[in-house]
Amino acid sequence: MPYWYYDKKDLQNTPSFRDGIPNDSENRYRKEGARFIIDTGSKMDLGYNTVATGVVYFHRFYMFHSFRTFPRYITACCCLFLAGKVEETPKKCKDIIKVAKSLLTEQKFSTFGEDPKEEVMTLERILLQTIKFDLQVEHPYGYLLKYAKCLKGDKAKLQKMVQMAWTFVNDSLCTTLCLQWEPEVIAVALMFLAGKLSKFEVVDWNGRVSKHNAWWDMFVEDITMELLEDICHQVLDLYSPQTQPSGGDSPTQTTASKPPKNEKKASVTPPTSASPVAAITKPVVTPVKNGSDVKLEPPKIDMRFTYPGYPAMPAYPVYSAPPPAIPAARLPIPAGPPLVYPEPPPAPPARFPPVNVPPPNYFSPMQARGPLPPRGPIPPGPPPPRPYYPPP
Amino acid sequence: MSSSGSSSSQSPPNMASISDVSALFQTAKKYEELNVIGTGAYGTVYKARDLHNGGQIVAMKKVKVALTEDGIPLSTLREIALLRQLEAYRHPNIVRLLDVCHGGQSMERDHQLVLFLVFEHVEQDLDSYLKRAPGPLSENRIRSMSYDILSGVDFLHSHRIVHRDLKPHNLLVTSTGRVKLADFGLAKTYDTEMKLTSVVVTLWYRPPEVLLGVSYNTAVDVWSSGCVLAQLHTRAPLLQGSCDSEQLHCIFRLIGRPPRHEWPENVSIVADSFPEYPAQDLADILPRIHPHALDLIKGMLVFDPAKRLTALDCLEHPYFTEEPLT
Repeated sequence: MPYWYYDKKDLQNTPSFRDGIPNDSENRYRKEGARFIIDTGSKMDLGYNTVATGVVYFHRFYMFHSFRTFPRYITACCCLFLAGKVEETPKKCKDIIKVAKSLLTEQKFSTFGEDPKEEVMTLERILLQTIKFDLQVEHPYGYLLKYAKCLKGDKAKLQKMVQMAWTFVNDSLCTTLCLQWEPEVIAVALMFLAGKLSKFEVVDWNGRVSKHNAWWDMFVEDITMELLEDICHQVLDLYSPQTQPSGGDSPTQTTASKPPKNEKKASVTPPTSASPVAAITKPVVTPVKNGSDVKLEPPKIDMRFTYPGYPAMPAYPVYSAPPPAIPAARLPIPAGPPLVYPEPPPAPPARFPPVNVPPPNYFSPMQARGPLPPRGPIPPGPPPPRPYYPPP
Repeated sequence: MSSSGSSSSQSPPNMASISDVSALFQTAKKYEELNVIGTGAYGTVYKARDLHNGGQIVAMKKVKVALTEDGIPLSTLREIALLRQLEAYRHPNIVRLLDVCHGGQSMERDHQLVLFLVFEHVEQDLDSYLKRAPGPLSENRIRSMSYDILSGVDFLHSHRIVHRDLKPHNLLVTSTGRVKLADFGLAKTYDTEMKLTSVVVTLWYRPPEVLLGVSYNTAVDVWSSGCVLAQLHTRAPLLQGSCDSEQLHCIFRLIGRPPRHEWPENVSIVADSFPEYPAQDLADILPRIHPHALDLIKGMLVFDPAKRLTALDCLEHPYFTEEPLT
């Protein structure tokens, strides 16, 4: 079974890098591709799960292919197209292309070729092969809500914190975090960040036991402060100034051409100094047209494998970009209606026996992972105790 | 399965890389086909060698998927996603899914995509195991195999998967005598494929609700398992009908024609088309069977799906819980 987590070393030595594309350019292409999936998905009223799944496919795809071989915007379209089908929110290929065309410059759209739909169809098979048909992807959103439900404290403050964390999760799609850490870890880290920035200190939580030093010890074992900060910085780097306007050059597709010019240092390695939002010049994430109509909403249809619809949840402002100049230590608080906690998903119908096998890394603390942990699949839980199991 | 040389003549020059993908479709070439293991309604299963994993022997199922206007059908993608997800649990009674790949564009002109589902190879299925058995299976072996089957079924049901086609051919027997379920989870994909082929599908394990064409649920697998469990005792199929109605006659001769109030509504066949068969005593067919085993199988072969035991009920039956085997 494929394993989708990489060390930073792997993330630097990518197919694109080996193809002559510097890391910082690749990171920008990844960011632009992810951003484009989010914009296109939002414009088509696709839920956050579908959008996030598409972005994860996109990041995984470029761990096997170069941006020079596969232009990012058509790959992005294909990822969203496939994610729509997998998450049971299908959109017609031609409709996705139509929206893509409206969002892209003519020059960028020209990378779709003469018959864009046929190109996407061909690419779908390449994408499937590349991601090894591993289609079901988990995201931090569900964990975020689950963890938040356990925290005690001022309700309004907690809501504000979760809302901010939610926005950070949205923004984290533009980084390669989903190639580095499981969604549980990302959820913990970005809620930690939101807690710091919204000045919400979690002092007590449901299910606390004496060995817990922090609330996240309940969900992910042995998470270090170093790791938390590393993840936070990767997201905060999105808001730091860029030396070059995004959306500029693309890698040319003839091998003879030179790679793009050097740009700013790659954001995979965050700066060690921690003044993340001190000098924001230009928000990386700008809503498509007017920000109000760009939303990632809770899924509109029942999604079997993720959280079933959140009827009570208001629309989230996605990418409500941080204000242009934010004083240090005061963070962008996304505007929007207050978050209402959704009810937990309804239990499966009682007609069927209950799930006897705990899903892998579902709620039970994961394996200890230090700053540079050994990579290996998280072992699924042991088989459930049965009344009697005959010997072989 | 070999990927044909792709023609990139119509593609615009800057997209040549996407069309020139023959190199990407070498994945199926990771496996060297050895011989055909079986042909079913869904496609063909090959024994193959995994050239990237030390020549490990695998079972490769070739499924043809009809492409729609929007590419690979949603149902197929959902089903593959589900199979992949199930694999994470590594359930001991479920056959391992090792890889999924596709055969590239060779079939593109026919609007078909050839999918390869690569499973662990298990040397024999229950059908051949029973045929090869020199004599009756020991009580221990029967109970252990029964438990394995029901554990696998319970696992699928707890993930809202209905197997729909449980039979000895789909139950694999490992060298240590454990049973693993195979060939599940692609019901919708197979459905579209079945229209294209005309392979005879065995009816012997079909429950009455399927034969009558009414809606069905997880209880169908319990019926099929009941037939298989009985077969473990006798090493012969319990109900061998030659067509749909003949199969129903077989069923009613065994369990008796159901009372009218249990006959489902909206069925084109009326209850009166069958003689009023009295129920037979299963003990006559399964002599020397342990009373608990008999009671369990009776509970599984109940006409009304709602009154049938669930797989979990079966696992908690005294047959399995009362005494541990030595």
